[in-house]
Amino acid sequence: MSFIEVKSLSKEYRIAKPEKGLAGAVKSLFHREYTVKQAVKDVSFSLEKGEVVGYIGPNGAGKSTTIKMLSGVLLPTSGMAKVGDIIPYENRKENAKRIGVVFGQRSQLYWDLPVSDTFDLYESLYSVPQKRFRENCEFFTELLDMKGFLHQPVRQLSLGQKMKANIAIALLHDPEVLYLDEPTIGLDVASKKILRDALKSINAQRRTTIILTTHDMDDIEAVCQRLIMIDQGQKLFDGTLDDFRAKYHDGFIVKLEFEGLFPIWQESGAYALLEQEEHHWLIKAKPDMSAKAAMIDLIEKYDPMNLYVQEERIEDIVRRAYTLNETA
Amino acid sequence: MKKYWLVFKKSLKSELIYRSAALWGVVGAVLSFLIQIFLWQALLSTGARNDTSFPDMLLYVLINSFILQLTRTNVAGMIENAMIDGTISMELLRPISYKGYMLSQTLGKNIYGTLTATVPVLLLSLFFLSGAVLPDMVHTLLFLLSALLGIALKFEVTYLAGLSAFWLQRCWFIRFYLTGLSSIFGGTMVPLWFYPEFLKTLSYWLPFRYVTFEPINIFLMKTSVEQAWVSILAALLWLIGLSAADKLIWRAATKKLTVNGG
Repeated sequence: MSFIEVKSLSKEYRIAKPEKGLAGAVKSLFHREYTVKQAVKDVSFSLEKGEVVGYIGPNGAGKSTTIKMLSGVLLPTSGMAKVGDIIPYENRKENAKRIGVVFGQRSQLYWDLPVSDTFDLYESLYSVPQKRFRENCEFFTELLDMKGFLHQPVRQLSLGQKMKANIAIALLHDPEVLYLDEPTIGLDVASKKILRDALKSINAQRRTTIILTTHDMDDIEAVCQRLIMIDQGQKLFDGTLDDFRAKYHDGFIVKLEFEGLFPIWQESGAYALLEQEEHHWLIKAKPDMSAKAAMIDLIEKYDPMNLYVQEERIEDIVRRAYTLNETA
Repeated sequence: MKKYWLVFKKSLKSELIYRSAALWGVVGAVLSFLIQIFLWQALLSTGARNDTSFPDMLLYVLINSFILQLTRTNVAGMIENAMIDGTISMELLRPISYKGYMLSQTLGKNIYGTLTATVPVLLLSLFFLSGAVLPDMVHTLLFLLSALLGIALKFEVTYLAGLSAFWLQRCWFIRFYLTGLSSIFGGTMVPLWFYPEFLKTLSYWLPFRYVTFEPINIFLMKTSVEQAWVSILAALLWLIGLSAADKLIWRAATKKLTVNGG
């Protein structure tokens, strides 16, 4: 039995069909047609304790809906989810004690009060020993660099400061599972790095299981060992980051730089010219070719001043995986 | 229990931030008190009724406005807002009973307004209060008990109305009706003892009269001790019945829940 078990999880929404114009709006008062939207469709996966999983997909893929079901807010239409030994949506409060959740576009903070007041409230909500809780408060205040605004009313904080506070709050009670739904929105580069490092060390020290949704693939690359990709509610990929690369990998990029005018491009089956600027080319080489062979070949053909080989970025791979799915 | 206390405290603290709102709330409370007092003074001086004295009426208005202040911020409105903007999902992430959370939150919000509005009104009423008869010990205790039940009952009814937002998203019209019903059948505008017989009878079938009307009658000693117990028991039964109903409805509501806005 795995720590988190998700089996054929589905969630349907009923959406009223909008009618056009004022006449349509009046008509819809009396008669309304509904369409059923499948936000999550037959998704299954299982997670061991201490795993860090990136849960990715384009907008509207059903990521947040899955997380809401796992955290006990939403009830699935069919299928089941189990976290530890608890079915979250049947036992919301018990489940809530052992999870920490950050929804990137929402806040848990008191709008009119300083962050420290919300800390007080959370201390009373969880049955964590006071000493431990206060230690955590200090630890995360230090880690996320929050000292400067801890006693300022939340309404006067910036987006990034609020995000930091929300992340800290999700961690104060030593949760066993952490659900992070786009936790890096609004953070600057330095803060993103701090957050990623923090997640890694929390995972290493406390064996916290983490599910992370994000559109920033650097988050995934930095933190996650495993990737689950969904689109239109369905699971498309589940495996390690390396497997993901191997599956959707489509060659590598070579950049050639020229000092003066560049030579004439010779069409060839092995390469594709992606970009042609004044002093450089971006060339994609087919995956069956070794980098060494491609380099030698390209140097002989075009004699560039400089040559760089780049691994395709995971972000580009993901983008292609999305579009592949759409055309399929 | 400590968590509910903290929800209460923080909610009260949030209210303290806006001092001008409290100040203008005081002005409003004083004005509405004066209007009612002068109106009743004029009406009673026509001599059409001799079962109601002016000091009785004054106490009636006073206690009424106190209990209404305590239940002023509407749970139903809060639930509706949480549904509209989707913050309901954040509230459900906390390991706390939703109903208890809402109750503590509402009380915290209202207690400040009640205190600031009641003190000036109370001072003001001292000018008019000569000749008022204060209740004996037994009636005072019974009054406190029945007022407490009344406040709980008002919360319970409003909470139930608010849960409808899980289905309707917008439930302001239900709140609207609720306010209407509770001022008619709860006698918060005009005491029920001035009502025609059929309305009075009807009011016995609804929970609203137990919110302020019955407690006030006990305070004014218009209710005998035995009758007071009957009305307290009735309020208690309503409370138990409605709590049972809200548990069932809550279960259905969480099934129905959709969260707006991602």
